[in-house]
Order: sequence, then structure tokens, then C-alpha cells
Amino acid sequence: MRIILTTALAALLPLSAQAAPTGERVTLRGELIDTWCYFSGVMGGPDAVVGSAHHTCAMWCAAGGIPVGMLGEDGETYMILKLPDDDESAGGDTFVELTNDTIEAEALLYERDGLKYLVVSEITSNEGIPNRTHEDFGVIPGFAIPDAVVDKVLGAE
Amino acid sequence: MRHTACLALAVALSGGPALAGSPLPFDVGGPFELTDQHGDTRTDESYRGKPALLFFGYAQCQSICSVALPRMAEAVDLLDEAGAEVQPILITVDPARDTPEALAAAAPDMHPRLSALTGSDAALAAARKSYRVESKRIGEDVDGPIYAHGSFIYLLGPDGEVLSLMPPVLAPERMAEITLGYLK
Repeated sequence: MRIILTTALAALLPLSAQAAPTGERVTLRGELIDTWCYFSGVMGGPDAVVGSAHHTCAMWCAAGGIPVGMLGEDGETYMILKLPDDDESAGGDTFVELTNDTIEAEALLYERDGLKYLVVSEITSNEGIPNRTHEDFGVIPGFAIPDAVVDKVLGAE
Repeated sequence: MRHTACLALAVALSGGPALAGSPLPFDVGGPFELTDQHGDTRTDESYRGKPALLFFGYAQCQSICSVALPRMAEAVDLLDEAGAEVQPILITVDPARDTPEALAAAAPDMHPRLSALTGSDAALAAARKSYRVESKRIGEDVDGPIYAHGSFIYLLGPDGEVLSLMPPVLAPERMAEITLGYLK
């Protein structure tokens, strides 16, 4: 999975050397979300396409090129332009590996065209996926995990 | 959480004021020399004189391209209606399958005015480098390779300068609104 996810989203090539001083340095906490399913509503309302319920779909979306965003605890949504490089894997897979994790990050914030963008310089904490939405919604969408797999996992519990 | 999420969604979908805001946090854009679906050589200078929306993807992409390209095409149509002719451009990340002939067959279904560009691996890599787009072959399915690739849509001014970039998840109306904001 690690290799497959490399650069998946590929938002942009490394930016650190080119980062302009115009961004506002911020510290933010929030969940890394699948922006397509969140904004489009194709898989359900916004409460259903965050957290554990949507984790499998979010990973597929991230691997397929859907930009990852952050749903901040301040209620704002941020488009992620860059996450810190992962030295061990030559960078990139963090976009997918972190989907639906709630993180705290230091970043440069840029606002353009009414949208907020982040160039993340450091993830200072990662709480994993505390947003256990599957308890309310199950798997969203249901087909993200085949029934046989769900039965097998639940049967093993 | 529900209220917060709904509010965030509403703001994001409706957009805010169509203002540029902060400068882009990086230099992006540059020359390229590629081949379009008619077999003609196209460079970045070929598109000077009118604004353009540029996306990197591939014709058989079942993921982000199937979201981004229709949205970009609809934005172009909305801009037409607003009296702003914008050139839609696709630069492939899959030159093995996206030959000029294949793009000639696929492009009209994406947008009748789409300029679909392909080229050698080196020429395409140079274009991606200019626009800071990553692309990686991540797997295979029955139809061939699957690529992960950068998916932001670039707005180019009539002089070829990158005016802004837009997430492909924006509604076409919002893409058109942002674009018009730069063309006034």
C-alpha cells in the first residue's frame, strides 16, 4: 500500500524551497478529509463522509487524485497543497495514510479566490481517527468494503 | 459538528468573493512543446491571446479526471455564455495510450473545443515539471495502467501566465466565477 499511495494525490511537487513569505503561519487542528465526497454530497451528507465511516472510500479517492483537505475544528475547510515529506518513503504516501486522521499541524495559510490553502510544514500530533462515524452510519458508501469482508471481520470479533 | 460541517460546505460551495488574495506560494507555469489530437505541434505560445484552463490527466482515467474534466468543460460553457471564451487544455500523463489518434477520438466527448496534448515522455515530464504536477503509475486494471496525478486546474491568462489554480472539486459555476474574476 505504501508504494501504491506514493504521490497519489500529487497535489504539487515539493514546495518548501519555493514557499513565499506571504503565507500566514498558523497552527491548526482538524480532520484530513476526502474533498470530493465531502463537497459533492454524492456519498451522503457531510457528517457521513468524514471519520471512520468513510475511511476506505477516502483512501481510494486520495489514491485516485482527489485533493485532500482539512476540516478544521474552527469549522473552516482547507485545501492541502503540501504535507511534509516522508523521508522513509521518499514522500507522498502521507496523503493517503493520513486520510480521516485528526491532526494538529503547523502550516502556511494562503487564501485565494475565497478558498484557503495550506502548505503544511510539520504535523505536531496525530490522534488517528477519533471520529467514529461508522457507529452511526456504517460504511459509507456501503460498497467501499465488500459484504463478505465485513462479515468476515465482524464474525471474527 | 453537523452545523459546522454544513456551514463549511455551504461556504466552500458558494465560494467567497472572487478575489485573488494571497499570491501563489510557488512559481508555476512555463514552456512546453507537445502534440495535439490533430498531430499538430502545440507550444505554450500556441494558446496566447485568450485565457485557458489547463488540466493534467488521461483519457481513460476513471478517477479524478472523470470529475475534473466534465467540470472544467461545463465551466468553459458557462464562460462562453458569459462572453468569455476560454481554451480548455488537457495534457496527458499517459502517452502510451493517449496517442494523437486516441485523443482525437476521445476529446470531442470531453469538450468540442478541448485541445488534448500528448508527446514524448521527456516532453510531458518537462510540462509537468513546469506546472509542478506529479504523476505516478500506481497499478494496472484490465484496461491498462492506472496513474495517480496532480489534479488542480490551472487558470492561464492570455499571456500564458498562471493566474490561479483551482481544486477540481469546485462546482463549474464557481470555477467560472473565479475565472471571470481574473478576466475583468
